[in-house]
Amino acid sequence: MRSTFKPLSLPHSSSTLPNGLRVVVHEDTTSPIVAVHLMYHAGSKDERVGRTGLAHLLEHLLFEGSENCPKGEFDRLLERVGGTNNGSTWLDRTNYYEVVPSHAVELALWLERERMGHFLPVLDSEMLDVQRSVVINERKQVYENRPYGLAHEKLHELLFPPDHPYSWPTIGYTPDLEAMTLEDARDFYSRYYAPDNAVLVLAGDVSESEGFELANRYFGDLQASGVRERAATNGHVAEGRATELEDRVSFPRIYYAYAVPPFGTNEWIHLDVLSYLLADGESSRLQRSLIRDHELAQDVDTYLHPTELAGIFGIEATARSGVGPDRLRVAVDEVVEQIADGGVTDAEVVGAIRRVRRDHLNSLANVEERAEELAYASTVLSSAGRLEELLNAYATVEAEDVQRVAQTYLGVENRATVVVVPGGEDEPIG
Amino acid sequence: MSRLAERPPVAAIPRPRPGTPPIPSVPEPDRFTLENGLRVVAVARPGLPQVVGRIVVPAGSAADPRDAPGTAHLVGSLLTEGTDEHSAIELNERIDLLGASLGVRVGHDYSEIALALLAETLDEGLDLLARVVATATFPPREVERVRAESLDALEARLDEPANVADDHASEAIFGTEHPYGRLPIGTIDGVRRLRRDTLIDFHRSRYRPDGGVLIIAGDLGGGDLRSRLETAFSSWDGSVERPLYPDLPAGPEPSGPLLTIDWEDSAQGEIRVAGLGIPRNSPDWVPATVANYILGGSTITGRLGANLREDKGWTYGVRSVFVPGLHPGGWIVETAVGAEVTMDALEEIERELQRMVDEPVSAEELTRASEALILSLPHAFETPGRIVSRLATVEAFDLEHDYWHRFPERIHRVTREEIRSIAVTCFSPDRLARVIVGPKPPGEG
Repeated sequence: MRSTFKPLSLPHSSSTLPNGLRVVVHEDTTSPIVAVHLMYHAGSKDERVGRTGLAHLLEHLLFEGSENCPKGEFDRLLERVGGTNNGSTWLDRTNYYEVVPSHAVELALWLERERMGHFLPVLDSEMLDVQRSVVINERKQVYENRPYGLAHEKLHELLFPPDHPYSWPTIGYTPDLEAMTLEDARDFYSRYYAPDNAVLVLAGDVSESEGFELANRYFGDLQASGVRERAATNGHVAEGRATELEDRVSFPRIYYAYAVPPFGTNEWIHLDVLSYLLADGESSRLQRSLIRDHELAQDVDTYLHPTELAGIFGIEATARSGVGPDRLRVAVDEVVEQIADGGVTDAEVVGAIRRVRRDHLNSLANVEERAEELAYASTVLSSAGRLEELLNAYATVEAEDVQRVAQTYLGVENRATVVVVPGGEDEPIG
Repeated sequence: MSRLAERPPVAAIPRPRPGTPPIPSVPEPDRFTLENGLRVVAVARPGLPQVVGRIVVPAGSAADPRDAPGTAHLVGSLLTEGTDEHSAIELNERIDLLGASLGVRVGHDYSEIALALLAETLDEGLDLLARVVATATFPPREVERVRAESLDALEARLDEPANVADDHASEAIFGTEHPYGRLPIGTIDGVRRLRRDTLIDFHRSRYRPDGGVLIIAGDLGGGDLRSRLETAFSSWDGSVERPLYPDLPAGPEPSGPLLTIDWEDSAQGEIRVAGLGIPRNSPDWVPATVANYILGGSTITGRLGANLREDKGWTYGVRSVFVPGLHPGGWIVETAVGAEVTMDALEEIERELQRMVDEPVSAEELTRASEALILSLPHAFETPGRIVSRLATVEAFDLEHDYWHRFPERIHRVTREEIRSIAVTCFSPDRLARVIVGPKPPGEG
């Protein structure tokens, strides 16, 4: 059985300013709002050992005001026009975005101009100290003080060698955060926060001509910073490495990660379908086997990161009470092997593609995420147009493609394993 | 030479002054009632081929039988575990093949069955939704499996200090006799004892069309939605009333003791400051929203965020929230701070609350909050999913049908005096419970 999928379309125009800033405009007048998205091609992968967490700390600093927009004003100005704004840092990129009613597009662009062109003069040690403290608290709240919170950090340390830029966490290590200097922040900013290392997307109730005109007005005079050298990328060496962590938790949880082809490749798409087929939906292979049929797991999930140097495929499952982590591992391994050896059905593939599409539609339903997706394709794949191509490439995935990537990439030797087990006295019998 | 010179300074451009804001447009839904009494609220949003829907029925944990806490929640978890036409496996294979997601959320007042679909599978999806709400069968094997999962989940959630803090705060406000003081998921003892018969009875009496509402938005296709829904829901009938609620407790003991729960070696202290709020359909909800926005509804620009995060760097985030409910819900300040500053942070929070009580907010703060709330409307109605959420609020809490249309003018009318009066009623520190989950403060060793 084959289902037909109406192609998704995301009409947009792209252009590059003389200073290298790439601009993408996507007009959609459904709601009188516009998403303004600035994505810098710099993330935690552009940090160095000993200064991890710098990209993210800098992101925090860049909400603390600029030469012509004092601390606090940034948020207040946007609030006043009904806008929202945020930023985030990940392995390959840092982004800043506003969603504003259509009358305030220029304000959002002006604020981003301030961020790109007028930040260094206000950067001082007091600002650094406060945000360093906020980030250290963020690390505590989101990672250290949360059950299983340090598992992914450990997983990436195992999956990549120590000098590979995906081996450390985006939040950074606390001693590195404590050691961070103003000079570190200035260097990173000067190197990466420049028009020729950024993509600007305007999505929503804004016309193409207005979008390009405004981009030029607010960014055209900013100077390029020249070619930036990129961190060398080493191959990963998981070699089946595994470790166990004790945590204050009631149930064991297992984490697998595999380094796979990067975002933008056909194989990445096949792996994405595999990921949905394995664990999205209650009839998916892993959920059915682990949760329903054998009652070994409370939950099981898979993910595939759309990352640039390598994709990262993950599987994780939490044990039911009385189930030890080894039984859980064997059960997951069996399901993956069954797919590698026996393949999948056409119906499973169609269902998985539809569920991928459901999630794509859900994120494309709002201009904020649409802008981000266009910016990400433009940043990591060099062209916003690749997004539409990728979204529509799922329709051609076949059962053999899914089996092949399971065989090729989900082998034991390719993966890193972290097992989190209950620490202390209340350890259940495993 | 300094690195700053690598790029020459750029000229400042004057900050643009935004012109006239767009008039917030709120969709006009179609409203009709099916023959079986199910109310329908529908908004056509062609564009992307997706449909989002939600059925809301008064089958929340407030309707749990007195001796069977957790009934509503377990019923919700079991809705998608078999119907009169499908085994649990067949049903879930069907949902997954359609590319749909069908999830149930059980709160205190309501159970909500949420559906997300590709437009091309709309009719099949509506059929499944109808089957699930009308004919769930509660197969014994699935009851036992889902019960065991719930018991594990009840245990696992106490691994998180944030959950422990939330639970104590709710109990401090409402006690354990009022449904709002108890978790919808129930208790370990209660869930262990639940009988399948009780679940079936609860479903039979509470999942009824007359008394519920379906909200649906998205690419609804060209056909007549009403007749498609009549067909899909034709075998569902009967009516249901809201459950009776016990009298509301008086709220936390005035100036009660600080409740501290020791969490050894914790890197942070979880803080909750909580009291009684107001019902969602109270005329005070709008001024309360503005008051709360100024205090801590806006996590960074609010007074709490500006103080604890932006000024002191003690926390990644702090916020305050009025919990919406048919009856007065909680009002809660929540944050997690570095363990060493836990007591200082609590003091600062109380200082900010007292300031809201003692002094009127500035005109500038009021204007900024009002503009922010009004101008965020287009964003709040941007997607089918958000439209469904906003309209579900109207339906669930008996708000006027033009609630969102009149929202801007109501916000505009809010005065500084009204905000002060909300602060006196809801934010006065001596009327609030205080909970800390974290390491023992020094000296208590």
